[in-house]
Amino acid sequence: MIPIELGDAIEVRLLLWCKTEGQLLKAGDTLLEFETDKALVLVSASQPAVLRRCFYREGEWMKPGDTVAWLSDEPGEPLPREGAVPGEQLLVAFDVT
Amino acid sequence: MPRVFFREALSRAIAEEMEREPRLFLLGQDIAGHGGSYAETRGLFERFGPARVRNTPVAEAMTVGFAAGAAAAGLRAMAFITYLDFLMLGLDALVNYAAKLRFKSAGQLTAPMVVKATAGAKGQGPTHAQCIESWLMNVAGLTVLAPSTAGDAYGLLKSALRAPGPVVFIDHKKLFPYGGIVPEQEELIPIGTAAVRRVGRHLTLVAHSYMSVLALEAATQLAVSGIEAEVIDLRSLWPIDWDSLTISARHTGHLLVVEEGQVVCGVGAELAFGLRERVPELRVARLGARRMPVAASPALEAYAIPDVQAIVCAAQALLTRR
Repeated sequence: MIPIELGDAIEVRLLLWCKTEGQLLKAGDTLLEFETDKALVLVSASQPAVLRRCFYREGEWMKPGDTVAWLSDEPGEPLPREGAVPGEQLLVAFDVT
Repeated sequence: MPRVFFREALSRAIAEEMEREPRLFLLGQDIAGHGGSYAETRGLFERFGPARVRNTPVAEAMTVGFAAGAAAAGLRAMAFITYLDFLMLGLDALVNYAAKLRFKSAGQLTAPMVVKATAGAKGQGPTHAQCIESWLMNVAGLTVLAPSTAGDAYGLLKSALRAPGPVVFIDHKKLFPYGGIVPEQEELIPIGTAAVRRVGRHLTLVAHSYMSVLALEAATQLAVSGIEAEVIDLRSLWPIDWDSLTISARHTGHLLVVEEGQVVCGVGAELAFGLRERVPELRVARLGARRMPVAASPALEAYAIPDVQAIVCAAQALLTRR
């Protein structure tokens, strides 16, 4: 999910996926970079996870609160149906540069 | 068509015009290495060099005076004034020299310059939040523009940078977080044309800059209760697109003008009177800032300036007024 506490950001632009679907993330790994009107934001995993599904492509626009990806603990874990809200939202750390 | 941030629409317009017109140069605080207060000049210093992208000290009177003098001497200048409030320091050069030059010289001299400044309330207090557009509309010889979308900012700034005389180009702090569509190919928007943002039949809602965003939200809310508001974004405060406004006012019979500046002698006063002259049976109402400075306190700032709910209430009151 795009962090909701992003100052006054209304729309953001996805710049770069640092991982591809199926890849493992260690805690602290950068998952993606996006841009607000005034800052570059790096989103990092706060715990180990597997990137299962990316919902936006690089260059696409998103809003704070949008689900940008699904992560799971295990690679084979069943995923919710498309459009469903996962039961547990994984918190990610983000740095504003 | 590409979607870009508001700042990117500005920087694209500037870059295209600098490529086209070698006499055009920029000056302002932090516009060179820093790339502007809103990153709207990012990359231009690297691309066009120090002679054409010049940092200035915190001295707005000098900045505007320098731009006016350079423009009168044959260059084309774009001066960046961080906040519209600070343009007060540059008004002598802008009003008494740049705007009057064509009249004083019987057309022999002009001052082709753009002053870009950022208006509006966003938590920065009473001297960094003012909307003094109507002061500028009062000056013969000045063109005043205030777009609300990235696409309009792009097209209008390009027109401004080709205009023969001084233009004040006003953007708004709260417009920068938005993305918007800009044309693939180069495209200019003529100065003096308003845009109908939403078609309606019960009342005409006129606004400019960030208030256009709120007016559209208000129109969406009004539609829920069956009130169809036509929303017109002025874009150009002077010259005013009287034709578009008159057509809409005749059609709806009710006019609500919304602005972030003061109501007294404001944009709405001019529009309401001008449209009553053209459509005598028109019912008019104005909505703007309360007669107080905009405070830094979020609660007092919100109290001072119109919001969506205030627009909805004013529209309903106008339609039910006997």
